[in-house]
Amino acid sequence: MADVSLDGVTKRFGKDIGVSDVRLDIPDGSFVVLLGPTGAGKTTTLRLIAGLERPDAGDIRIDGRSVIGETPAQRDVAMVFQQYSLYPHLSVRENLSFPLRSPILRTPEAEIARKVAEVAEVLHISHKLDNKSTALSGGEMQRVSIGRALVRDPAIYLMDEPLSSLDAKLRGDLRVELKRIHADLGATLLYVTHDQVEAMTMASHVGVLDSGRLVQVGTPREIYETPLNTYVASRLGLPRINLLPADLFPGAPTGARTIGLRPEHMIQTPGPDGDGQDASVTRVEHLGDQTRLHLVCGRHDMITLTDPHTNLVRGDAVRLQPRAPLYFDDRGMRIP
Amino acid sequence: MTDTPIDKAARATPRRVARVIKGVSDRTIAWIFVAPTIFLLLAINIFPLIWTINLSLTNYRANRVNREVDYIGLRNYERILTDTDIWLSMQATAHFLVWTIVLQVLIGFTLAWLINRKFKGNDLWTTIIVLPMMLSPAVVGNFWTFLYQPQIGLFNYVVSFFSGVDPSSFEMLGSVTLAPWSIVIVDTWMWTPFVMLICLAGLRSIPDYIYEAAEIDRASKWRQFWTITVPMVLPFLMLAVLFRGIENFKMFDLVVQLTGGGPGSITELASINLKREAFEKWRTGYSSAFAIILFVTVFGLASIYVKALNKVKER
Repeated sequence: MADVSLDGVTKRFGKDIGVSDVRLDIPDGSFVVLLGPTGAGKTTTLRLIAGLERPDAGDIRIDGRSVIGETPAQRDVAMVFQQYSLYPHLSVRENLSFPLRSPILRTPEAEIARKVAEVAEVLHISHKLDNKSTALSGGEMQRVSIGRALVRDPAIYLMDEPLSSLDAKLRGDLRVELKRIHADLGATLLYVTHDQVEAMTMASHVGVLDSGRLVQVGTPREIYETPLNTYVASRLGLPRINLLPADLFPGAPTGARTIGLRPEHMIQTPGPDGDGQDASVTRVEHLGDQTRLHLVCGRHDMITLTDPHTNLVRGDAVRLQPRAPLYFDDRGMRIP
Repeated sequence: MTDTPIDKAARATPRRVARVIKGVSDRTIAWIFVAPTIFLLLAINIFPLIWTINLSLTNYRANRVNREVDYIGLRNYERILTDTDIWLSMQATAHFLVWTIVLQVLIGFTLAWLINRKFKGNDLWTTIIVLPMMLSPAVVGNFWTFLYQPQIGLFNYVVSFFSGVDPSSFEMLGSVTLAPWSIVIVDTWMWTPFVMLICLAGLRSIPDYIYEAAEIDRASKWRQFWTITVPMVLPFLMLAVLFRGIENFKMFDLVVQLTGGGPGSITELASINLKREAFEKWRTGYSSAFAIILFVTVFGLASIYVKALNKVKER
């Protein structure tokens, strides 16, 4: 295990910017999640660290040494690809032992067998070890891909949306499993996703990418509670943060253009009386553990959470009061 | 009234036709559609095959129509299998078949592998390499006879340029030892591009990320080649071998044009021998039996091979 740092890394693809001036420190033993929509440069960052792409500028260091001139093999990284990158004519067992059979490692056979069995156990694929890798379901294939990284003990694990192709239940299970593996191994992990639940639950640090630039890095709570700008604020939280004109509610600081209200940061009082702004219910979504309330306040739509057993129905009037709101200036930056 | 294409078709159908069609089941309609194809197959494939088997049991000669035809049982087969000429022609075919396939696979795969590396102008190179395949075998045969000319031929000149041998000291088409190789060379020149194209399709079907994964798993280029490239191209390669094998088993035009089976009968492949027996010596019954033997051989070999191919594909 080792710490990895990116220093002003830039990569262009022709005219398109892959990543631009990314500075990121991944401390030894941390679980860093890169969050961003498609095309934000998440995968490019991983590929740059893995050595599958060469940066146009900047430096990448693993364990303090610059790895710019090194091949992927020399860098000693393990990577899980978004696609099932299995060796199709090999069995699951052969796929899992493939990295261990590298001549660089010289792993003894007994050690290989032990590691493969251990990883297969963790990923619940022990009974499939002798299957051909083409005779697996999508979820199983992806677990083998993850397993092929886990059998190794690399400087860093790079994972490119490994769970995005799995069904919800398996995704939940593996999320917990990955977090446990991380804790057990003390592994350094860089994990790419566009799923904020994965980011919030697994990460020790979250980095938010916006069209190639790393906007903010921090713990999940920091990112959630003190986002740098409206972009970061809207990446985390479900339902999304409501971004409304600042003058909709009284008490905005000077220079505030936008008020950011997370769904749980609105106090509603049923009925037309009471403190706050007038709003009316346009839709009620009962999700079981929570109820989402779609409101219209002035001409603005917003979503908030309410008591799961609420009696509110469409057309009801409520009074709305912000609690701990975020304010953003006209450039979208948060006003502290 | 709705206006889907089906409704339009229904409205356009004349009432009399509609009445007939109404009583016909889907299955019958299916048969009606397939019938022309089945009829053609029966008429031009199955019937001639059965008729050939029938003729192979007789002493029939097609140039003597009025002669009485006797059924002589399996005597034709007996004579063929003990005929040394036939065995020589089978040996010539085997030599031709094995060496063309070996050379075409080796060269074709290598070319495909080289072309598949991304470099400037590889599309142009592909087109140039594929050109020989588009020529007519008769033309190819004809101009290779010029290339093989001892005095003026380019082939002899090139060989002598690199080896220092006198160009007029050897005759590719005229020598007993060289003639079998001369036809192998021409067929390889003409059909290696075909093997290359199929290999190229195989190579292009391997996604980049598998190589990237192997790269990260620290597999050497050599190991990547043997554990990813070869196994994933193998089904394609085997298909190419099947096509070339069947084609070259019945090779006729190119070799007739080049050597005419000579010198002597050293390049007289089975198909050329068969044509001589059937249409020069007019031994129709005898050559029918020979044709059946060839058919069974190709069919048998091909079925075994296809089984193996399916096994490779399943992996």
